[in-house]
Amino acid sequence: MSGSLAQRLEAYLTDLWGAPTTVANLSRISGGASRETYRLDAETGGVTHGMILRRDPTGSLIDTDRRLEFLAYRTVHGHVPVPQAIALEQDGGALERPFFLMERIDGGVVASPFTFDPYGAHAEALGERFFTILGQLAALDHEGTPIREAAALPVAGDCWRIALDHWAGVIEADEQHPQPIVRAAIRHLRRNPPPPAQRVALVHGDYRTGNFMHDGAGRILAVLDWEMVHLGDPIEDLGWAFDPLWNHFDETRVGGMIPQERAIAIWEAASGLRVDPTALAWWSLFNAVKGQAIWTSAAKEYRDGGFTDPILAISGWYTARRHDQILAERLADLAAFGEGF
Amino acid sequence: MTPALPDILRGNFLSLAVPAPPESQGEFMTGRIGVIALLSLLAAQEVERGHPARAWENDAIAAVLAEAAEVYGAQYADAADIVAADLSLETLDRANAALRRALIALHEAVEAARDLPRHRAIVALYGEMAEARRLDLPPLPAR
Repeated sequence: MSGSLAQRLEAYLTDLWGAPTTVANLSRISGGASRETYRLDAETGGVTHGMILRRDPTGSLIDTDRRLEFLAYRTVHGHVPVPQAIALEQDGGALERPFFLMERIDGGVVASPFTFDPYGAHAEALGERFFTILGQLAALDHEGTPIREAAALPVAGDCWRIALDHWAGVIEADEQHPQPIVRAAIRHLRRNPPPPAQRVALVHGDYRTGNFMHDGAGRILAVLDWEMVHLGDPIEDLGWAFDPLWNHFDETRVGGMIPQERAIAIWEAASGLRVDPTALAWWSLFNAVKGQAIWTSAAKEYRDGGFTDPILAISGWYTARRHDQILAERLADLAAFGEGF
Repeated sequence: MTPALPDILRGNFLSLAVPAPPESQGEFMTGRIGVIALLSLLAAQEVERGHPARAWENDAIAAVLAEAAEVYGAQYADAADIVAADLSLETLDRANAALRRALIALHEAVEAARDLPRHRAIVALYGEMAEARRLDLPPLPAR
């Protein structure tokens, strides 16, 4: 394959649209942990299309299915603020690796999880919208939608087992140094399964601050990074959004936005579902395990990739140790009362 | 533990030394340099705390294993005798891996025996281990 990425994109889009197309302002941006993300302007017939390219990397933090991600955008568009999906190329011949293209939403900001108080005076408005959208996602009827072409449909009582088996398997496969804390948490989760999912819903899989774009004035423009989307228990997303890793150094507000009780009330109103405290406790501990699995893979990919990606380094190092703290605190709370032992 | 400090510092060098393609310069590279800066800050903490944390953790796990050996079997006394031959990171980590594997096996046995006091002691050790290994990220101002 010859030519720059821009030239290859021009050839691909010219073929896709059946009209000469030029690509300008191609620039890689941060976005998502498992795909290379680029911003570009594609001009054809006197019209400029702002676009985002998501291309499979040579190594990544998590191994995810780009078709599922693409179909998720197609499924939720019109229900949840997301960019419109444009094209998916699974063989990747045109750009060397599989990729998909979607429309670009300009003018927004995405907070880094490592910043303090990123939403300022708009934290409450954003928190209300953030958990309303998540509740709407839980309520979305996915029967007959694009995601059902590719996503496995679990029965309600199996959601927890499928999720736990998957992420425990990731730790088993990628662990390079023994991790007693996360293994104790996995055993606790297996001994004490949660109640069945109230409904099997579309689960974003990485719904947190840092994965939505806002306008700086209290409005969410887009929910991004659907690379871990699946069908499962919607409480999974709630537990991940509540994880202390995403609280922006503020222990009083989930996601650095609103108190947890308020978030639950908003989510319940939007989803029509109830948050069972037992289920939330299970999925919260599960999400710390899931996080540790992701960071374990990141450490492995960092090594396998020749130590060249600093995002993998900070994921496999700082966040891994942070999640060990979170897991140890949760296990200590459970042990104090002899819960689930 | 992975990644170890030398991995991080070598990685920082490689991340900066290997030329990026034109489309990966600009905003992406700015973000990358910010992450490398954070890694350097955390590396300073690891230089200060990494060796003592490893040495302490190895001793603490060995103590729990030795104490449990009478009830749970001589294999834990044998594991408790694992000592790092020197104070290099690599040697400390190799001993730590063996000790952690024994601790995982002991905890599983403790759970099977429904030995709540020892379960609590092991979980308390986990808290201390996580605390000793912690890295402190400063709250950065939002842009």
